[in-house]
Order: sequence, then structure tokens, then C-alpha cells
Amino acid sequence: MRIAAGVDVGSTQTKAVVMAENGGKTILARALVDTGANVRKAAENAFLAACHNAEIPATDVGFVVGTGYGRYNISFGNAQLTEISCHARGAHFVCPTTRTVIDMGGQDAKAISVGSDGQVLDFVMNDKCAAGTGRFLANAADVMGIGLDEIGPLSQRSTRPVRIATVCTVFVESDILSYLAQGKKGEDIMAGVHLAIAKRTLSLARRVSIEPDITMTGGVARNLGMVRALEQVLGTKMQVSPDAHFMGAIGAAVFALEKMDQSFESSTWRPEHAAGSGH
Amino acid sequence: MGDAKHTEYRGSIHQRQKELMLKWYERLNEAAETGTPPAISLMISGNCVELLEAFGAVPIYPEVNALQLAIRHQSLEPILAAEEIGYAPDNCAYVKADIGCYLKGITPTGSKLPKPDLVLCNFVGCNTYVKWFEHTAVLTNSKLYVLDVPFLREDNPSQADIDYVVRQLKELVSLLEQITGRQFDYDRFVEAVRCSAQVEDLWSQIKHLARRSPSPFDAYFDAITLMGPLYVYRGTPEGVEFFRAALEEMQAKVAIGQGVYDQEKFRLVIEGPPPYPYFRTFRDMFAKWKACTVASTYSTVGGLWEFGARHDPDHPFEAVALHMLAHNVTNRNYLQRYEQIRRYLEDWNADGLIIHFVKSCRLFSAGQGDMRDYVTKTLGIPTLYIESDLEDPRYFSEAQTRNRVDAFFEALEHSKLTAAV
Amino acid sequence: MLTFERTFEQCQELIADLSFERVHRWKEQHPGARVIGYFPVYAPVEIIHAAGMLPVGLNGGGDRLDIQYADARFGSFICSIIKTTLEMGLRDHLKVFDGILFSSICDSARNLCFVMKRNFPDLYIDFLHLPHNPSSTASVDFLASEYHRLIKELERIGGKPVTEAGLQQAIALYSCNRQLIRSLYTFRAQKPHLLRAWESYVLIRAGHFMPVEEHNSLLEESLKQLSQRSGKPRDSIRVVVEGAFCEQPPLDLIKLVEDAGCYVVDDDFVIGQSWFVEDVPVGGDPVFALADSYVNRAVYSSVRHDFRAPRWEGLAEKVKRSKANAVLFLIAKFCEPAYFDYVLFKKKLEELSVPHLLLEFEEKQFTFDRVRTEVETFVESLVFD
Repeated sequence: MRIAAGVDVGSTQTKAVVMAENGGKTILARALVDTGANVRKAAENAFLAACHNAEIPATDVGFVVGTGYGRYNISFGNAQLTEISCHARGAHFVCPTTRTVIDMGGQDAKAISVGSDGQVLDFVMNDKCAAGTGRFLANAADVMGIGLDEIGPLSQRSTRPVRIATVCTVFVESDILSYLAQGKKGEDIMAGVHLAIAKRTLSLARRVSIEPDITMTGGVARNLGMVRALEQVLGTKMQVSPDAHFMGAIGAAVFALEKMDQSFESSTWRPEHAAGSGH
Repeated sequence: MGDAKHTEYRGSIHQRQKELMLKWYERLNEAAETGTPPAISLMISGNCVELLEAFGAVPIYPEVNALQLAIRHQSLEPILAAEEIGYAPDNCAYVKADIGCYLKGITPTGSKLPKPDLVLCNFVGCNTYVKWFEHTAVLTNSKLYVLDVPFLREDNPSQADIDYVVRQLKELVSLLEQITGRQFDYDRFVEAVRCSAQVEDLWSQIKHLARRSPSPFDAYFDAITLMGPLYVYRGTPEGVEFFRAALEEMQAKVAIGQGVYDQEKFRLVIEGPPPYPYFRTFRDMFAKWKACTVASTYSTVGGLWEFGARHDPDHPFEAVALHMLAHNVTNRNYLQRYEQIRRYLEDWNADGLIIHFVKSCRLFSAGQGDMRDYVTKTLGIPTLYIESDLEDPRYFSEAQTRNRVDAFFEALEHSKLTAAV
Repeated sequence: MLTFERTFEQCQELIADLSFERVHRWKEQHPGARVIGYFPVYAPVEIIHAAGMLPVGLNGGGDRLDIQYADARFGSFICSIIKTTLEMGLRDHLKVFDGILFSSICDSARNLCFVMKRNFPDLYIDFLHLPHNPSSTASVDFLASEYHRLIKELERIGGKPVTEAGLQQAIALYSCNRQLIRSLYTFRAQKPHLLRAWESYVLIRAGHFMPVEEHNSLLEESLKQLSQRSGKPRDSIRVVVEGAFCEQPPLDLIKLVEDAGCYVVDDDFVIGQSWFVEDVPVGGDPVFALADSYVNRAVYSSVRHDFRAPRWEGLAEKVKRSKANAVLFLIAKFCEPAYFDYVLFKKKLEELSVPHLLLEFEEKQFTFDRVRTEVETFVESLVFD
């Protein structure tokens, strides 16, 4: 049995997945830690936690692929790939019929057109501003004075979403405050925010060809309100795996198993890699 | 920068380019101190510099000044100075940097820049040009002439378009005679037009060398180096001599099969101006993948000659008019740019297109999503769309840009591999 | 009086109607006749009229159109009217049009013209180059030749032959239209408490969607009704609104400015409809007269270069003429011509000690509390000064 891992160092959270190849590929374990200020440490912690969850020593892991913003900070990684390649491959692994990936993470929103073997055919990412990203939703939640986890369920209760025109973070904040002052219900405001982002994201996604099946990945996929809003504007259902958040790490692990074939190095992890070991 | 020799081509022309540009700044300094030669502000794209040659006048190119500032990481201070007096965050940062320099007394090299004897706006498509020079004229209290060039709304300019521009050029001659107190030297004008035609021919030959694999130079990053002399010296013997040397140098590289990289892995077309404040960083993102640009639209701002157009010395006024109307990318319409890109992709045998959206320049950028749609869906060519700015360092996100560039090449590499199987 | 109030509502509905119902009806009543839309700011409507066609002003989708497709074609930092105009096309709102005209107003609009050409190959889409060198004697000749080119194109796509008599008639009709609009502005500057800015705006803009003959009747009738209107003056400052010459602000925003304590005594909303400061001359070659008027009789504008009479002098003159206390700059987000002009306008106003306030808007805007606070504070600062 060969074992490899993928580590996805995102802007807010770092995800690690340990995967085994034994005839087929299986996920042995996952781990999730906050990225925080020390990116190297976060990567290491996530990786070790995943090994711990898989009940294997870290030295058993033959190959590690790093992805996400902090991918070059992973001291023990054997190769680095962008999360775009990894999300496509991860979505293909979890749902092989995937032809389009909509990924919404902390800083970026992306639409990826995926080929039948999981390769990236085309991709687009959000424009400069934070519109359509997790950070944007977090801001909106802050202005409303509610928790990020609550906004999705809250928006689900809406019957009359308010109209939000712009997706500029600053303007949306003042829109929200205006609607609050007008006595609009919190659920209608949040539903309006979700719809505005969904429309904006779809508009972005139209730059690639949107073909079914559509798989949603990234941390925002855990927000059911966002999923429903996207499905509403898309006019179709999306695949949302419970592993949506781990998709980048899963894809990285799949790549790691594939790359392992081409590699002679048997072990990746050595204690001197540890971020705390005096480097 | 230890591996610079692997990521770019450094030849004697790079040294010569520096000398020529320095010499230009010296002439401007001289004009500032002594009042001679006469100095005239004009815009890069579709300009009539040959007419200036006929008066022995030196051109001031605010765009070159602005890009020099940005490349030297000095653009933010003047941009902020301009914003303080009311320019918006969404105004063209070239303009803001230039205006800010006047306000703050900054020049890119530290030498003096003269007050223009005439602010000559060659309006070729870019509406910002008109605003920019209106402001320059007001700010420096200089005389302004807007030479109105009809936009290329049909395939070719009409006779009425040409007549209109020629009539204005002749008005301009009288105006320049008044302003400089010098007589229009027709022979010198014809000679300048003849030099331009030669420079254009040499430049075109150089561009066609990039059709070879490996390409001897990068038709974006290296082309930008060659663009300085192209603008300042087009109508002069020095320009001819410079481009002859450049062509010879590159032909020699072709003869021994030497490319920009030891192994050219990808061939690209780039659309849009570069992020000058992060020019080196940006270049390295492509060098990492050994991706060589083989053609670019930005290098045709000064003139589009690789498809055969040249100044005709037998009809010098008409030649200048035609250049302004039809032979520069900015006065050509958007669909003609699509067509230009299509020809590059096919004739220069490129793997993909990079679209660099710059927020400052709506002439380049407004509608690039549609362009992307055309290239990916109609032509079926992989396209990367990235955003930043050509002058304002605040709009460049290194991690984000690198991420997209890497993802693009990862996908391209994969598709090349599978295509090869 | 009740019926007169209803007029404003009807005009408002006309402007809000993105299915162009009124234009469809005109087409049904004129079998075979063509409809030509024009993007702001100015178009030679007389020529379109003389070709037996209906010119229709296209000023974006306002706040009634969600963008689903156009964002993918025009990215960030591009104003809304560019996107809503394309969106209207991509969502089949422009089916009633046979052609659309653009002109050299800004870089985004120009590129939009050609993007539209690619996406709607069956439509006649043309770009008019309106000259930017009025001090050259060649300008008028050039523009006349450009108009002759347009005439040929209109005839080609099914317009009736354009005759001198037809053009003279159209010029007379539109001169009358502009006189009526000027009267409306004069009335408002004199009695701003009797005609609100949004009311005159909808009356004028309604002309975008109906034959000029009908619009003339509407304006004549409205002026008659207005003379009988009565009301008490409000406690407001007099302002000139500048900068909204292309993308139009939401009606609620115009209302808000007045509710917050301003009389809008002059503005540049849909300025293309009152483009000339005096009538187009009659008698000579009408095409030449139209070209000559564009070059020599046009209002100052952010989309037209003319240093013989710089724009900031024009604004200063406007402030003086309308006895305004202040200027409100109402600038569409990402409108580069307006942003640029703001700098020199501001400079001039400061030289003259005219107070001013800059406000950004988007045609799609649903909450206005922030703007209201800004305007109210501005008014307070002037009143309590």
C-alpha cells in the first residue's frame, strides 16, 4: 500500500488529506487547522494531525503535494500545484462526472471547466475586489452582528429578499445598514446578499463554459444559503460533497499518488523539516 | 537576479537603447535650460513625429516618462499627489503620475523637462489622451492643438478621413512655424518619413523572427525595451542604425538556434500593457515556465507594421495621415484587434493567449471578457485573464497573479502532454 | 391637475419599460419602418427621422435589469451603462431595433460598439466619429461627409431616401423640440418650486421613445399646465447638477437631492436632447447645417473637446445664469470623462468660491441613505454658514 498526502494552505484554514493507493485510491484521514500567522507551522500541524487521524507515522507518507496560497511555504512538500488544478482533480475524484467546478474560498471565487480525466480545460477567477468570496460574506455577517455559520440558515427563512445592486464590499455594508434602518428583516437582507453574490459568481462563471455536472467546492460550500442561491440562479442542482472544503487537499493527494510513481524518494517527512526546529 | 541570463536576452542593443534614451533626456534637459530645441508634447500612439523632425523639434512623451517612473518604483508618490487635487482612484494612473510629476517637480531621471512649446494631442482612439493633454496645457499654461483622427470604424480609412487628417496636418505646419519661429523644412520632413519607413521595415523583420522556434527574443518584454528608441528616434538615421543593429544581432541568434530560454516550452501571445511597477516580477512568472512571448498587441501601440504597412515617402502627408488612422493598434477597432490576435496565434504558432487587464486603460481593457470569449470559444485557444495596472502599484497582487499564471501553465502543460501521447 | 400628475407617471413608466412596448407599437403602426437606437450622448436624430425611421435614445437598463451575462464580457472598473446595454441585447430586449449608433464619447462606449457588432451580427451597428478639433476648418466638412455616410447606411438598411425637404422638416421639428425643452428649463430656473427636477427629467426623457411630433405636443401641453400650477416656495438652496450626461441616476436619487433641500435649477441629464445652444440654421444645405451646428453651436460637454470655450467656463456661466448657490457633481461610477473634468471644474469653482459636492452613483442603486446624509450635510453647511 502506498500512502501520499495533500496539504492545502488557504488564507484562513489549512487542510490536509492522507490518501492510500491499494488498487483504488481511498481517503484515510483529514485534518483542518486555522492558518494563522505562521503558515509553515500551520501546514505542518495539519499534515501531522492528518497522519495522527490516519493512525500512521508521518514517515509512511511517500509524497506530499502542497497547494493553496501558502504552498511554497510547505517545507516538507515534494511538489507544488495551484489549488485550481487541485480543486479540479479533487472534484473529479469525488464526483467523476464533474465538468464544472465552482469554488468559493476565503479570498477567491473560481469557475473551472474540467475535462473527463479531471484536467483543467479553462478557468476564471473573481475580479480584484472581494465580491463573491468567503471574506465578503464574513464582512456582511459582521455588519449584521451575527455569526458566519448563522447567515446561511437565516437567509433560508427569507420570503422577500432585498435588492442589493453592487457587490462592492464597502457599498454592500452601507446597503445593509440602510435596510436595517428601514426595518427590513435580517433573513431578507442576508438572502439579498446571497443572491447578489450568486449572480455575480454566475456571471463570472459564464466566462468558461458551464456544463453539467457542476460541483461546488471550497469553504463557502458549507453555507447552505449560498448553495441554494447559486442553484437558483443556475437553474440546476449542484454536487456538494461533505468534503467540499477539503477538495483542494484531496486533489493534491491524488496528484501526490500519481507523482509518486515518477519519484524515487521513498519518504518525505523528516523531523528536521519541522518548522520549529531552528530554521 | 543571479539567473537573469537564463530568463532573458541581453545583447548590445540593450546597452545602446539605454544610451539613446539617455541622450533623449539630455536633449530635453537642454531644451529646458536653453529653450532650444523646441519641445513638443505628443502621445505615443499614431503620432506624427516626422513633422517635428522637419522643425528640428524634440518630442516629449509623457507616456514614456510615466512608464519610466513606474519601472523605477517611483510612480506612487506623484499618483497620490494628483489624487490630492481631485483625480479619482479610477482615473488613468499614467495621467495621474504625469500630472503629479508636474505638481511635485519630479522627473524620471532627475534631469529637467522643458515646458512644452506646444501640447500636441494626436487623438487616436484614446479619449483619455484628449483629457490628459487638456490638463497638461492648463497646468503648464501651454498652447494646445488636438489633432482629431477619425476612429477606424470601417475596414479601411475613407478618403474623407484621410483628407481631414491631412488638412489638419497642414494647419499644424503653419502653427508650428508660428510657435517655433522656424520654417517648415519639407526635405527634412520627407527624409524623416523615409527613415520611418526603414525603421518600420526593420522592426517588422525583427517581429517576424519570433515566428521561429525558439524565438530569439521575447516579443513582449524585449519588445518593450526596443520601443523607447522606436518612439523617440523613428524618423531619424539613429533610429535606422539602431534597428539595423538589432535585426543583425537577432539574426545571428537565429543562425545558431539560440532562443530566449535554453528550451522554449511555451509560445504565447500577450494582449494589454504590462504592470510596469512589477515588470521584473511579472516577467519572472513567465520565465519560470520558459514561456516566450512571440507576439503582443502592446508592441503595436506605436505602430502596426508586421502586416505590411509602411510610411510612403512619395506621399509624406498622406503617409503620416494613414499611419495615424490605420496603422497603430489604438485607432483600430476592437474587432480588428481580435483579428490581429487571431493572426498572431496562428501565424506565430502560439499555444495560448495572456490577457492582462489594466484598470487604467479602458481603451485596452473594456471588453476583454468578450475577447476572451472569442478566443477560447470561437478559436479554441487557452486564454488566461489577469488584472492589475500599468502604473499604479496598488493594484498588483503578486500571490494572486502568480497563482493564476501557474494554474494556467499547469493546465497547458497537461494538455500538451496528452496531445503528444 | 390630476391628469397632469398622471403625465409624469406615464413618462416614468415609459422610461422604465425595458420591453420598449411603445416602440413596438410605433413599428406596428408603420409597417416596414425601421427603429434606430442611439447610445448617449448625442446623435443626429434629424437624419434618422428624415429616413422615415424612429430614433430611440438608449440610456442603459436603469435599476430594472440584473446583470447575468454582461459582467463576463466587461470586467471590473467599467461603468454600469456599458454592461446593462449589452445585457439588454443578450437578453433579447433590443429585438425591436434595426440598428444602434454609437459615437466617440469614451473608450468603453467605443469598445462596446464593436463588442455589440460581434454579438449581434444581424443588427446594423455603426460608430460615428464626431470631431474633436472644432478650431480646424476641416471639421465641419469632415462631419458632413460622416453624416452622408450615415445617410447611405440608413438607406441601405431600408430607410426611405433622405431628401433635402425631409431633412429641413426634421430640423424644424427638432428645433421646436429643443426650444420647448429650453422653455422647460427656463421655467424651472425661475419657479423651481413649481416644477421638480425629476418631473422635467421624465418629461424630457420620454421623448426618447416617441416620435418627435408627439413629444412636442406633450411638452407644449405640459408647459400650458405648468403655468397654472401653484405652490409655495420651499426653503432650498439652488444647485446645478453636473456630470450625469450619459448613465442616468436613479429617479429616487434625483428626488432625494431635492428632498434634502436643493432646487436643481439646471442639470445635464440626457443632455443630448437639448444639445444645441441655438437653432440649427435653415435654408442652406441641411447636412452641412447639422455638421456646422455640432461644431459651432453645441453645449459644452465632457465628451467633446472645444478649447475655444473651455468647459469650466461653460459651467461657470451656467452657475451664473441660473443664479445657483452651488454645484452638485453627480458622477456615474467609473465614468472617466466626468472624473477628469471634475478636476478642472473644481478648480474653476474654487476660484469663484462656488461651493460644490461630489457624489458618485450607479444606475442600479437601491438605498440612498449615505447620499442623503452627504447632501443634507452640504445644504446645512451652506444654510448655516
